[in-house]
Amino acid sequence: MISSLIAPLVLTAILGFAFGHDAPKGHLTIGVSGATPAVVAAAAHATQLPADVAVRVLPHARGVREEVANGTLAGGVILSGTHRRLSTLLIPIVAPGADQSPGFDVVSRASSLAGEEWAESIAAGLASRLYAGHLRPGAAPQFASIRVSTMSLGNAGRGILDYFAPSIAVIFLFIGGGLGMRSLMLERSGGTLVRIAAAPLRPSVIVAGKMLAIFITGLISILTVWGATTFLFGADWGAPLGVLLLSVGAAAAMCGLGAFLTSLARNEQEAFGVALIVGLFLSLVGGNLLPPGSLPEFLQIVSLGTPNGWALVGFGRLSLLHEPAGSVIGPFLVLCLIAIASFGLAMTRVRRMVQP
Amino acid sequence: MLSCQGLRKQFGQRTAVADVSFAVDDRECYGLLGPNGAGKTTTIAIICGLLKADQGEVTVDGEPGGSLAAKAAIGYVPQDIALYPDLSARENLRFFGQLYALGGEQLEHRINETLALVGLADRGKERVGTYSGGMKRRANIAAGLLHRPRLLILDEPTVGVDPQSRHAILETVASLGIAVLYTTHYMEEAARLCQRVGIMDDGRLVAEGTPSDLIRQHGGQDRLRLTFGGAPADGLTSACLLLPAVSGVRPIVGGLELTTDHGAAVLPRVVREAGRLGVELTGVEVVAPDLEGVFLALTGKELRD
Repeated sequence: MISSLIAPLVLTAILGFAFGHDAPKGHLTIGVSGATPAVVAAAAHATQLPADVAVRVLPHARGVREEVANGTLAGGVILSGTHRRLSTLLIPIVAPGADQSPGFDVVSRASSLAGEEWAESIAAGLASRLYAGHLRPGAAPQFASIRVSTMSLGNAGRGILDYFAPSIAVIFLFIGGGLGMRSLMLERSGGTLVRIAAAPLRPSVIVAGKMLAIFITGLISILTVWGATTFLFGADWGAPLGVLLLSVGAAAAMCGLGAFLTSLARNEQEAFGVALIVGLFLSLVGGNLLPPGSLPEFLQIVSLGTPNGWALVGFGRLSLLHEPAGSVIGPFLVLCLIAIASFGLAMTRVRRMVQP
Repeated sequence: MLSCQGLRKQFGQRTAVADVSFAVDDRECYGLLGPNGAGKTTTIAIICGLLKADQGEVTVDGEPGGSLAAKAAIGYVPQDIALYPDLSARENLRFFGQLYALGGEQLEHRINETLALVGLADRGKERVGTYSGGMKRRANIAAGLLHRPRLLILDEPTVGVDPQSRHAILETVASLGIAVLYTTHYMEEAARLCQRVGIMDDGRLVAEGTPSDLIRQHGGQDRLRLTFGGAPADGLTSACLLLPAVSGVRPIVGGLELTTDHGAAVLPRVVREAGRLGVELTGVEVVAPDLEGVFLALTGKELRD
């Protein structure tokens, strides 16, 4: 009950209250101070902003900070007018051979991840334009607003919750799976495993029974997060059939992995520690804790070596790219393969697992 | 019902069970006696299919040990309480009954019957965690009896139990009428329940037989304990050694202990000698040989070591 319903609902509430109200479904405005509308327009064009991201030029840095702080702006870019060394810059996009670039600050609200992303993109565009010297910064006009129409980058208009709800639910699933299989160790320390092992059941049946219980618990938990974030906080995970497929695949992979980790542990404490460490490691490497596409390229490749990385690929296709359910068949099959392989490895040590 | 032939189990360099062979007949209660570490629990684990023997063979009701059919024939009551403390006794029995393919009306009927057998009929709905030690032990036995096994294996079922609960447990076991393999280090329990006992030490079965046969063969002689006040009675020691049925005399705290084949017959003569020598006896006790003595004679150890 705790793992399958209460904990997912608590998780949903945290995610919903953290991101739900700030999910930028409509327009999102980034403020810029210290640059002319022409420079900003050029930078925005170079950045290829989507249609629903607007850039507004403000005369003073203070105004940008205030409007970001009160939520009017999703993010802001402030040009300081001085030059900074490249090593201190957030995004050093400059001409080849340069060692300095115009200074700027990117400001955003902690909860507006999309605002921060777009503000950084605009800052990068400004930096490249200004350093190249094609356009010089001048006095900014009052509240000039620039709309840039460009191609969709795929995640235009999607809310943070759409991505982070499945992302965090997958972390929860993988840590929970490892901890769930720990229950076999608890049966051992509690003395009940000896009675179960003495019953007319094959060891593989005992382990499979445990896994089935954890699979169902995991599946209920992720479906609970899906339902609650969708109906309570308006998140959009994408095509329901695809979500269902991925949830089944992720829960199965989690069970297999949990069983394999448990087969390696000698006692309850080891199983707990291993499940936690591996769960957190997978979350980091798989990209669950970061915005989509923000991992360095090599890590994005590495993330495909993790089951949660594949789950995120699938969920990303559904929620960010809004692709149909059929698009997740690949990730679903990979998750099933991971489940079968890890379960198979665990089964080679099954007798040890149920030995009292 | 149960046959063990040449069982051997090694853990690394340590031999836990070495060439153990014994058999338990239908409706027989067989006691496996031995101190902690003698190999009793390992032997039981092999019989129950929890461990694989390195050598040897087990058959249970004609089925190879460890097979599903053999496991189904066994009711195992482990030494530690193997129940979920957060569930009631009834819920525990329901769960464990399902592992033996019981269900529906039949399972509910068996639960009622088994709880009544162990004297927990009116407490079955209470959480096991709230039970006293004795009640937990009885519920533990109930879980082993639920599927009506043909062989009941009880591993030290009365450890840490109050005398009243111990009596109830022994009464329950005695009333079952099925084959029972009973391990304990309480000789009085073995003597009361078991038709035959096997004595284990250091992984080996060192003797086997009925309690009376074992006592006759290995139990030694009666011991006559005399206690008296005052100084050591050297004269009494010499006088006792001259009596024809006394084979030995040794000092004990506050008195002497005589070994003899017939303690009751020798007693009047010893009392007469003490009176003749002016030794005022304050206590006299005749200790008949028992399984403890058998164990001591066979292994050189106390059973509770």
